[in-house]
Amino acid sequence: MTDELLQAQALRKQFGNNVVLRDVDLSVGRGEVHAIVGENGAGKSTLIKILGGVHRADGGTMKLEGRELILNSPQAALDQGIVVIHQELSLAPDLTTEENIFLGHFPRNALGLLDRRRMRERTRELLDRLSIEIDPTVPVGQLSIAQQQMIEIAKAISVEAKMLVLDEPTAVLDANRVDTLFDLVERLKAQGIGIVFISHHLEEIFRIADRVTVLRDGERTGTSDVSAIDQDWLVSKMIGREFEAHHTQARGMGEVALELEELSSEGAFENVSFSVRAGEIVGLAGLIGAGRTEVAQAIFGVRPHSSGQMKVFGRPTRFSGPGAAKRQGIAYVSEDRKAFGLLPNRPVRENATISNLARFRSLGLLRLDRERAFVREQIEQLDIRLPSMQAEISTLSGGNQQKVLLGRALAGRPRVLIFDEPTRGVDIGAKREIYRFIEELAEDGVAIIVISSEMEEVLRLSDRVLVMRGGRVAAELPRGEATEESVMRAASLD
Amino acid sequence: MTETSSPPAAARAASTGDRSATLYRLLRQTGVLAALVLLIIVSSFLNDRFLSVPNLMNVLRQVSIVGILAVGMTFVILTKGIDLSVGSILGVSVVLFAGLLETQSMAVAIPLGILAAMALGLVNGLGVAFAGIPPFIMTLGMLSFARGLAFIYTGGTPIPILNENFYDLGNGYTFGVPNPTLILIATLLVSGVVLALTPFGRSVYSIGSNEDASRLSGVPVGLYKTIVYVISGGVAGIAGLVYASQLSVGTPIAGQAYELDAIAAVVVGGTSLFGGKGSVAGTFIGTLIIGVLANILNLTGVDPFVQQLFKGALIVVAVFIMARSSRA
Ligand SMILES: Nc1ncnc2c1ncn2[C@@H]1O[C@H](COP(=O)(O)OP(=O)(O)OP(=O)(O)O)[C@@H](O)[C@H]1O
Ligand SMILES: [Mg+2]
Repeated sequence: MTDELLQAQALRKQFGNNVVLRDVDLSVGRGEVHAIVGENGAGKSTLIKILGGVHRADGGTMKLEGRELILNSPQAALDQGIVVIHQELSLAPDLTTEENIFLGHFPRNALGLLDRRRMRERTRELLDRLSIEIDPTVPVGQLSIAQQQMIEIAKAISVEAKMLVLDEPTAVLDANRVDTLFDLVERLKAQGIGIVFISHHLEEIFRIADRVTVLRDGERTGTSDVSAIDQDWLVSKMIGREFEAHHTQARGMGEVALELEELSSEGAFENVSFSVRAGEIVGLAGLIGAGRTEVAQAIFGVRPHSSGQMKVFGRPTRFSGPGAAKRQGIAYVSEDRKAFGLLPNRPVRENATISNLARFRSLGLLRLDRERAFVREQIEQLDIRLPSMQAEISTLSGGNQQKVLLGRALAGRPRVLIFDEPTRGVDIGAKREIYRFIEELAEDGVAIIVISSEMEEVLRLSDRVLVMRGGRVAAELPRGEATEESVMRAASLD
Repeated sequence: MTETSSPPAAARAASTGDRSATLYRLLRQTGVLAALVLLIIVSSFLNDRFLSVPNLMNVLRQVSIVGILAVGMTFVILTKGIDLSVGSILGVSVVLFAGLLETQSMAVAIPLGILAAMALGLVNGLGVAFAGIPPFIMTLGMLSFARGLAFIYTGGTPIPILNENFYDLGNGYTFGVPNPTLILIATLLVSGVVLALTPFGRSVYSIGSNEDASRLSGVPVGLYKTIVYVISGGVAGIAGLVYASQLSVGTPIAGQAYELDAIAAVVVGGTSLFGGKGSVAGTFIGTLIIGVLANILNLTGVDPFVQQLFKGALIVVAVFIMARSSRA
């Protein structure tokens, strides 16, 4: 790339005495898509936050179009034409889509007042461009996380950008939406905008990126044209070793743990029937909006069902709420980490155990030593990278936050576990560990439902795949018959 | 876990990091403590009567009522709530103690007065947790309602308290320490243990940090939020006990505007109004800072009107510094 847009040199950042970035260089050309990959906690988001003016580097320089760039605030970055979409979405939940998109740069009329009509028109235009079908006047807090991600993107392209920075935008999107996003990226590229793109899905790198930079433990271990490398190169730069091949073991299955009979919930799903046995992993595939999360919510007692019934270990049951579900041995890991998972300003230790404090209680008081021992075990088992279990969870990298929440689900020793997008934002190494972990749970006789928009994940894990479409179960495919093609066909046929 | 780098290394990092994080937290907490120590040192130079035992005991006695209220308030604020009605609830309990003591023994009057305060707290809690009324509004309503109850009960005229034993609660000493201070310390200790070491206390923090996530984790959010307001009400009843005893009269205006002092103590003590962060230890220190400041201003003969300015500035500056330090 001769036409450099951004040049960052020897960026350094440390939090306390934890050095997170060591002399990292990054250059992005006009019309270039530059991918950044690396394991959880490698420092990708931190690098992005420096570009976006959220953090100040402790050392190093940045230049935009050859001029020294000093960013004291996110606003300063925006003013320079650097638009960043962070890993944790930052929409105002009570504002509508159009208000969120134009927050900070509302269109005004001749009198200097808010020009609602123009705002609505521009919003429609943006949403059309991204093929998003939503009512721009409902508060975004009521939308799904995938829709929110798309709104963040709409918001980003509503301003004149020189550079667009995307931190794991595809983690929450299904295949169709990823296509839409990539089309958009191609168009922005053609306009000469420089794009920085982070993803744990390596195949996406090969699809969309021109160059890739790999980070490992805060150091840049390589930068290359994508055309010159393959996936193995990436993996070896990321983790410094090769993976072993994976073997699935046949598992014995026990009694039926959970059974849904013609379960319906108004406006969300209809006549959903299936069962899961102890020791079985059932994958729930489908496009976003197919009603999978809603089914999970109904099982867990956070969403009422209007007809049909549910049996837990053969007994007809209807949970009044998550507490009741939990007492019957059901656990649920939400897809929306920020809204329904994290206790942001509490330590990792408390985050890991909040779902089952009773386990650590004796004579009415919490035994902190037992709690610590449990958390230490979780940290080791899930290989969570963190400064200390006393650290606020919001200071962990995204993937490590996710692992803490998986650990939380296990605190209650569940017999039925529902994972909603369990590996969202998790790196490929950790992903394999989580898969192994889920398989081990199944071997121990836990009945498992995995909701996932990632085809590979569903196919790799599931003994049986249920494909949902438009609120109904469209197909049920045993392991032998579930292929990328058969699942996709069932998910999108109309 | 053959694919992972080295779990032992991670575990090692976790244990050493644990210590530095504890240190960091300690520093944060000692920030408020340091402010108190500094204030005490400066005060001791400003006036040599300040450091005398009688004066310090006097400070401790004077802060007791607001200090007790602030402990209950801490629970509420940790859940991201607020309780504006504690002054009025205190007022109700004060007139009840006075009225009941006319005919009943202390053993009857005291529990009844405190139960009544808890009942008003329960109404707050049900309104907030189950009717979905914002805490500010619910307790603002209760502020007015409870004050009305106190006036109606007394018919507007104070009820004198003649029971000599009751007098001792607020004015006596045990082992040289004022009884109200002992009551404050007991309230603090019990609350500290509940918050740090019980599932309920832990959940109070989690609710303030992220209510939806807590609910999904099986925390009985509605029940616990209700309990928090019952605690705040009950604690206001205990503070009312001290108040009634110290004044020996049940006046319906007892505790007016005390809720603001209680909130100030909590906030100066480092508890976040955004929920999920803080401690009763901090609240105690906050209470002392406000109390010592008032005391030294009195000792040095500063005009009471001007004292108000100091207090106001203190609250704003304290919160400003806190916001700064947590961002760094
Ligand atoms: N505000 C902070 N305070 C302290 N440590 C932090 C903070 N933000 C990040 N870190 C630490 O910096 C390291 C890098 O985090 P970063 O979020 O950049 O990782 P990442 O590469 O984006 O990982 P992921 O793929 O999981 O999102 C982690 O060890 C994290 O704990
Ligand atoms: Mg990240």
